[in-house]
Amino acid sequence: MKKLSGFLLIFALILLVACENTEHKKQSTSSDSKSELTMSWVKDIGQVNPHMYAPNELFAQAMLYDPLVSYGEDGEIQPALATDWEMAADGKSYTFTLRNDVMYSDGSKLTAENVKRNIDTVVENSAAHSWLEVVAVIDSVEVLDELKVKVNLKEPYYPFLQELSLIRPLRMLADSGFPASGTTKDGVAKPIGTGPWILTDYQQDSFAEFTRNENYWGEKPKLKKVIVKIIPDAQSRMLALEKGDIDLIFGSGQLAPAEYQALQKTGKYQTMISEPSSTRILSFNTTYGVTQDKNVRLALQHAFDRQTIIDYVLNGLEQEAYTLFAPGFPYSDVKLDHYSYNIEKATQLLDEAGWVLESGATFRTKNGQTLSLVIPYNSGDQVHKAIYEYLQSAWREIGIEVKLIGEEKQLFDTRSKTGEYNIIMNDTWGVPYDPHMYMRMMIGDKQIGYYAHKGLAVSEQLSANIAKVIRSTDEVERRALYESIFKTIHDEAIFMPISYRTNYLVAKNGLSNLSFSMQQYEVPLNNYEVE
Amino acid sequence: MGQFLAKRLSSMLLAFFGLTVIAFGLMRIIPVDPVEAYFIMNQMPISEEALETMREEEGYNRPLLVQYSAWLLDAVTLDFGKSFVSKKPVTEELLQRFHVTLILAACAFITIVTVSFTVGIWSATKRGGFIDWLSRSFIYTLASMPSFWLAFIFVYIVALKWGLLPLMGWGSVAHVILPAGTLALGFIPYYIRLIRSSMLEELNKPHVVFARARGVKESVIIRRHVVKGIIPQLVTSLAITCGGLLGGAAIIEIVFTISGVGRYIVESMLARDYFVIQGFIVLIGGLYIIFNFVADMLCAMVDPRVRVKGDGA
Repeated sequence: MKKLSGFLLIFALILLVACENTEHKKQSTSSDSKSELTMSWVKDIGQVNPHMYAPNELFAQAMLYDPLVSYGEDGEIQPALATDWEMAADGKSYTFTLRNDVMYSDGSKLTAENVKRNIDTVVENSAAHSWLEVVAVIDSVEVLDELKVKVNLKEPYYPFLQELSLIRPLRMLADSGFPASGTTKDGVAKPIGTGPWILTDYQQDSFAEFTRNENYWGEKPKLKKVIVKIIPDAQSRMLALEKGDIDLIFGSGQLAPAEYQALQKTGKYQTMISEPSSTRILSFNTTYGVTQDKNVRLALQHAFDRQTIIDYVLNGLEQEAYTLFAPGFPYSDVKLDHYSYNIEKATQLLDEAGWVLESGATFRTKNGQTLSLVIPYNSGDQVHKAIYEYLQSAWREIGIEVKLIGEEKQLFDTRSKTGEYNIIMNDTWGVPYDPHMYMRMMIGDKQIGYYAHKGLAVSEQLSANIAKVIRSTDEVERRALYESIFKTIHDEAIFMPISYRTNYLVAKNGLSNLSFSMQQYEVPLNNYEVE
Repeated sequence: MGQFLAKRLSSMLLAFFGLTVIAFGLMRIIPVDPVEAYFIMNQMPISEEALETMREEEGYNRPLLVQYSAWLLDAVTLDFGKSFVSKKPVTEELLQRFHVTLILAACAFITIVTVSFTVGIWSATKRGGFIDWLSRSFIYTLASMPSFWLAFIFVYIVALKWGLLPLMGWGSVAHVILPAGTLALGFIPYYIRLIRSSMLEELNKPHVVFARARGVKESVIIRRHVVKGIIPQLVTSLAITCGGLLGGAAIIEIVFTISGVGRYIVESMLARDYFVIQGFIVLIGGLYIIFNFVADMLCAMVDPRVRVKGDGA
């Protein structure tokens, strides 16, 4: 026994020494100094490769790298690394003139040659970007002179500039950032960009330190330093904020509505909600079961009580939505009626369509078929789960059965591709993707939007219109096509918009100029200040 | 002893082999492969053709047996392939995080052993007394609360309200106390009960009664006869707990924001990162096998009956 305790004691001492030796920095530093901000993030930022997706985090990519053009308010394309651009008359090529004063954070200059190298490496890896038309449509890149670069397209594509402004994959990496293999598909050697911030320190899964780029070509950030602490758990983030270990929790990805409200209620912090971004929608499957019946879809539209969901599940943080895209999105100002919440009308529609409630039965039937909806959801998403559980009980009262299938995210997504559902949750893409991106996905094989219209008699016409609208370079024609598309979607009642999503933040007092960015995954740290 | 050792070693090898089959097989049974998972994680809709091209590149289209044998051959040299997400070698990724989890688990292990031995033995010897009653109430309270919930209570009081220890992170002794304590708490009630009940059983055995009859001092009886008698059973249990601590550190690592292997594996699981998960299963499963082997050896040394009969006491 004595030997054993002796052994344990020595072992414990060794361990303690081992712990003490582990490198330890930045962990406990709270940002007291005036021009420093510490914020939390859910996941590690990855290598910050501008041309690839996960594990690279969008907000970090946006901090380090710049696009040729940027997406301004109201969808206007604005100069960024390119001061000027010109589209050929046939819409099949764009010539960009680069700014003359742009330096990468390693001191090298941005040149046309370097821009070509960046675009080429992305196009080379086109399999990974096949979802994005802007990459598929690029044919070749020509260097005209040191600051002029011409991009040739295979065919005209109207949202070309819009998609160039995306955070990934078409932002510019310095030559020294390319790996030995020459292609960024294999990663980056160093995350060297032209952006307002430089990554100056980093420990995987722990923290990242960004320092202001003193040579930034645009307006420099007010803050000198931003430290990002990786905190995967929401409760831990809230505790960290309370303790003062972090100054800011940004984004609805970090806090559920209830958590945001809990922090707001303490009255100790600044809280802020953004303008509407993307739309939460329920999408019907017109190729499967009872939702093939338009009357069922119409009845469900009228049996859908958005206000209750927004008040009780979304804690009033979002606005109710009746259209696929929030007003203000390009081409979205089409006048359409609303399907208002009206239970009498819903039951009347069902009765008329032959879905009747036999006496003593709980659910409606028609020719022996039960009015039953299969709804799969991602079991990790508490908000989705709560919305569906509410619907399950509400719809039961009018004789509609809801079968919920909660699955892990990956399985849930795979099920969505097989089309074995009646209703599924889907979000639109938000700025700068919408409306064209969501439209384009509707004609993609096995997408949620595809199942939404595939069972319709007008499906082919709708697909043809969508294919045409993303190619059209004629503004008048485009507007007319969008109007027709939105009208068909509304008439056929294939989507049930719930709310316009918002982003929110919670910050300690003392931070000022807080705001949101147009692109929901970007944190506009450039404007933030510490008083 | 030699024959016993040989038998145990050969069954250990067989277990290792079975482990690799399970590690590989399990991953292929679960729907969704890494290529598809990658696009789902990024919320990118992608065509079947593009998926196929990437599967071809990564070699996921080869026959399963070919994939397995290629992986197994590499695994023998501790090369578990490359992570699909980070493109870095799995061994490097795991080892980089493993020492953190190991320290955490080891500290939790020490806590479990010291606390449950002290309380368990004390409570058994003072059976029916105040200490016994107190320890049993303590056990029931602890055992009926999920450990992540306890973790929050601890963090809230100790780190936030009192400010005694850091809230999260890793790097100093102070950083280890809360997470290791929480991790240990999940196991302590079980061990206190185990020690208490096996002690009580042991106390009524003939050799103990005989020792008492001989007039041996009570403390000597407890040390020499009772505790020694319960050790084989405990060692076997503790060996399994060792593995459980390593595998079960995930939640603790997430709550306390510690960059250990548990947290990494949860992320990899979501991404269906085949090689990472396979490597992890082999690593943790391998440790389980080794711990069990060591436990068997220890039991055989303490208790000659094990050597003769060839099974645990």
